[in-house]
Amino acid sequence: MKKISVFILAAIILSAFSNQDASEILRKVDANLSSENRVFESTITIHGRRGSRTITSKSWSVGDTKSFTEYLSPAREQGTKMLKLENQLWIYTPTTDRIIQISGHMLRQSVMGSDLSYEDMMEDRKLTEIYNASILGRDMLDNRDVYIITLLAKVEDVAYHTQKMWVDADRFVPLKQELFAKSGQLLKRVEMKDIIYVDGRWFPTTMVYKDMLKQGDGTEFKISGIRFNQPIPEHLFSKASLKQ
Amino acid sequence: MIKFLLKGLVRDKSRSWIPTLVVAVGVMLSVFLHAYITGFMNETIEMNAQFFNGHVKVVTRAYADEISQIPNDLALLETDILVNQLKVQFPDVQWFERIHFGGLVDAPDSLGETKTQGPAMGMAVDLLSPTKNEVQRLNLYKSLVRGNLPQKPDDILISDFFAQKLRVNPGDTITFIGSTMNNAMAYHNFVISGTLSFGAMALDRGAMIADIEAVRFALDMENAAGEIVGFLPAGFYSSKVAHAMQSDFNKVADETDVFSPVMLTFEDQGDMATFVNLAHYMGAIITGIFMLAMSLVLWNAGLLGGLRRYGEIGIRLAMGEEKVHVFSTMIYESLMIGIAGSILGTSLGLFFAWLLQTYGLDISATMKGASIMMPTVIRARITTADYFIGFIPGVVSTLIGTALAGIGIFKRQTARLFKELET
Amino acid sequence: MFLALKLAYRNLVGAGLRTWLNVIVLSFSYVVIIWLKGLMVGWDHQARFDMEKWQIAKGQYWHKLYDQYDPFSLTESHAPVPQRFLPFITEGAMVPVLVVQASLYPHGRMQPILLKGIPKNQNLLKLPVAALDTITDAIPAIIGTNMARSAKLGKGDRVVLRWRDKSGTFDAAEVVVTDVFATNVPAIDGGQVWIDLEKLRQMMLLPNEATYLSFGQGIKEIPEVNEFVLKTQQELTSEIDVMIKTKTTGQSVFYIILLLLAMLAIFDTQVLSIFRRQKEIGTYVALGYTRQQVVMLFTIEGAMHAVLAAAVAAVYGIPFFIWQSHAGFTIPMDSSDYGIAMAQTMYPVFTVGLIVSTTLIVLITTAVVSYCPSRRIAQMNPTEALRGKIQ
Repeated sequence: MKKISVFILAAIILSAFSNQDASEILRKVDANLSSENRVFESTITIHGRRGSRTITSKSWSVGDTKSFTEYLSPAREQGTKMLKLENQLWIYTPTTDRIIQISGHMLRQSVMGSDLSYEDMMEDRKLTEIYNASILGRDMLDNRDVYIITLLAKVEDVAYHTQKMWVDADRFVPLKQELFAKSGQLLKRVEMKDIIYVDGRWFPTTMVYKDMLKQGDGTEFKISGIRFNQPIPEHLFSKASLKQ
Repeated sequence: MIKFLLKGLVRDKSRSWIPTLVVAVGVMLSVFLHAYITGFMNETIEMNAQFFNGHVKVVTRAYADEISQIPNDLALLETDILVNQLKVQFPDVQWFERIHFGGLVDAPDSLGETKTQGPAMGMAVDLLSPTKNEVQRLNLYKSLVRGNLPQKPDDILISDFFAQKLRVNPGDTITFIGSTMNNAMAYHNFVISGTLSFGAMALDRGAMIADIEAVRFALDMENAAGEIVGFLPAGFYSSKVAHAMQSDFNKVADETDVFSPVMLTFEDQGDMATFVNLAHYMGAIITGIFMLAMSLVLWNAGLLGGLRRYGEIGIRLAMGEEKVHVFSTMIYESLMIGIAGSILGTSLGLFFAWLLQTYGLDISATMKGASIMMPTVIRARITTADYFIGFIPGVVSTLIGTALAGIGIFKRQTARLFKELET
Repeated sequence: MFLALKLAYRNLVGAGLRTWLNVIVLSFSYVVIIWLKGLMVGWDHQARFDMEKWQIAKGQYWHKLYDQYDPFSLTESHAPVPQRFLPFITEGAMVPVLVVQASLYPHGRMQPILLKGIPKNQNLLKLPVAALDTITDAIPAIIGTNMARSAKLGKGDRVVLRWRDKSGTFDAAEVVVTDVFATNVPAIDGGQVWIDLEKLRQMMLLPNEATYLSFGQGIKEIPEVNEFVLKTQQELTSEIDVMIKTKTTGQSVFYIILLLLAMLAIFDTQVLSIFRRQKEIGTYVALGYTRQQVVMLFTIEGAMHAVLAAAVAAVYGIPFFIWQSHAGFTIPMDSSDYGIAMAQTMYPVFTVGLIVSTTLIVLITTAVVSYCPSRRIAQMNPTEALRGKIQ
């Protein structure tokens, strides 16, 4: 009896404060994940039906509108550069010595056979700008105390209408994310691991994306050497720098 | 007896020459028509086989499952070994590696930046080997609208319509963007050597043909191919032969390995079985009707042959020859005429059919221009049936006609014979 | 001339079985040539008929950005149905279709498809839309046999569909295949899934919008209505017309051979007639006929085969043609894919022009063929002929 009343009490308190708390949680998540600018090296491992492939690249980005990526390996991709400004994307490849603009419809295609589309990669808006959050409950995940929050889109032009997020209650970093269709169908699952503390924030350095409708082992995205608030020369974000 | 009858036939030209000729012409027409119909009815089949399906096609089991999406990540590997194996197992069949691929084509402006862009479907075939087998198979030379056939590895042929849409010309460089068989981004510069007319809007909107080695390089498919197509030695599709090959090849296939090669026949692909069926029925119907008409004509000819010899038979009866004997000699003779005519007619028919099979009937004058998917040359197709099909009307109908004419013999009264002969 | 006709007729009918065999063969040629030609025309036009029945009706209005060969055009190529079309849609004379890109996940694999919405109560086009009116927790959908084959789906199967609405938000739901249809029109089959239009509009957040509209008989054709451009039936079927032309040229060889065959019979008959009836020829000349007149008589006699044959052909041919053009000619198919036997019924098309031209061609050819052996008469020595001496 005592247990039950405690539970009811907890539920009442939770629901009263949840929306405010949830927004607070989301704000803290944003504070960890989004940044004015960042530089990082990353490794993408794509699991295909015939084995896996790893691509390494270095990226520079400012805010949510500009980013520049250079591929470092494998040999085939080496020297390939990508420039994103607002909603436009250009690719330069040394083999063709061409700057090619990737237009709207291509952005929805998957990047190099991964479970990510260009659009997924280009979505850099703050979560608080897109979603309203509410707390669903608390749980343990990978021995960490987590909040489970639901995110419901508050704007129209968003890829995933709802998300369910497992946020580390202490560090405010998402550890797991489920992306849903409007109908409630689970579309993608992202698992974040290897959380590090860098430049005053907690950041996941391993993310595993899995398209839940498709068979396969998903795509692994590993970040190494991430730095925030670095001086990035403005001329990097120009088409001229693609050819350099 | 036979010798005697033969002598009679050879010496009496009117008795032998005209009836034999009539039978021969009739049989010739039958044989020729049958070969022509077979060729004509299979035209759609052959066109699809040459361009897409092959008479048989070897792909991986996984590729076969998703063949409509041309999944190059499931392509065949170590195709040099596989092609050699196929050549050993089926030495008479011609084998070609091909890759179908899709992506974007981007044409640069003077600064090298994107001027125009469009989705494209490509096919990689062996264009540069000295045999030029594939060039002929795909009728590329005739379908060329502007420019030349590829001479160098990075040369590419694109549809003329597509070239106009992209505002590019032969000699221009275009960039292909697609994905490699490992699902990485693929970029490759090709030089347009010429433009083609495909004759089907779906292809003219964005199809291109490049040499397989360049495409292998671009798509990171070294020694790999999406499919290996096989063409039967007769040059035409045969359901029986293809299925025999298929069961022969697939019996050793590893059921558990999704990347093991399997053979598909032409009919296994899309709704090609319907096509084959339809062509088969239509051919049979037209042939059937024609055979019926032919039989009536030769029956008539046999009858006429009998009537021609009204007087002669009268004399023979008057001289005391048995009616049954006269009748049977006539039947024997008509049998010889039928056989001789059928042999002659079949030979002639086969000869003409062979001409039409080898050289084809060029109807391009009635068309606006040649294209890949709209063949302007109609060919006959000789099948085993052609060797005996003419004998049915040739021998049987001649016999029936003669037999009918011969009935008259039994009706004639000996007493009136001389009176008839007097007039 | 009349005498010649009368004589020719008497001679022919008097010859009995021989004549009738020729006449039967010739009449057979008429009927077969006409039937085959009609069937071929029907077969060729079948592609067009099928396209009309299944896809385009009497014509279409396309959104001006719609490009059927470029799926990327689809994100832009839709607009609200123009006001002036609404009454036609209500009365069923016009059918709006909305086309969007989507992904289907049969058996855990992703397959890009075109998702098409069509009113579930339309009956202008042959698509079995009634099956879209099924009450089920999933979205009822119909697909063609080709799509069924490539996605390995059958009637009753459920599969996840994922699409993005007009703002790009992902959505997904289960669809249930409520019918699989067999069609000869690839443009409505491969890589496509059909669902109810209203459902699709809701899913896409595109109320009242359409990508193209097909219209039936009696709709006035206007080149452009709002953002929709007229595509006439002729424009839409132009590709088929080129194909028909190729086929027609190829088919003419059949008719030539069939005609040659009939002529073989006539020629043979004529040669025999002249050979056997030398006395008769001699008599005609003796009676004061000029040689030309005799040649004429024999030519008319030969050509009359064709006339008699036409009469005989009409007796059994006309009912046969009428029956055929209604009942069609069905080729049994043994394709048992997904339990649908795709019976190929072809409806021969007989036009007056076809019948008249065929009759004329046979008649003229017969006359020519009859004339050739008769010319020999002109070289005959009448006295010898009269004595029955073979020359």
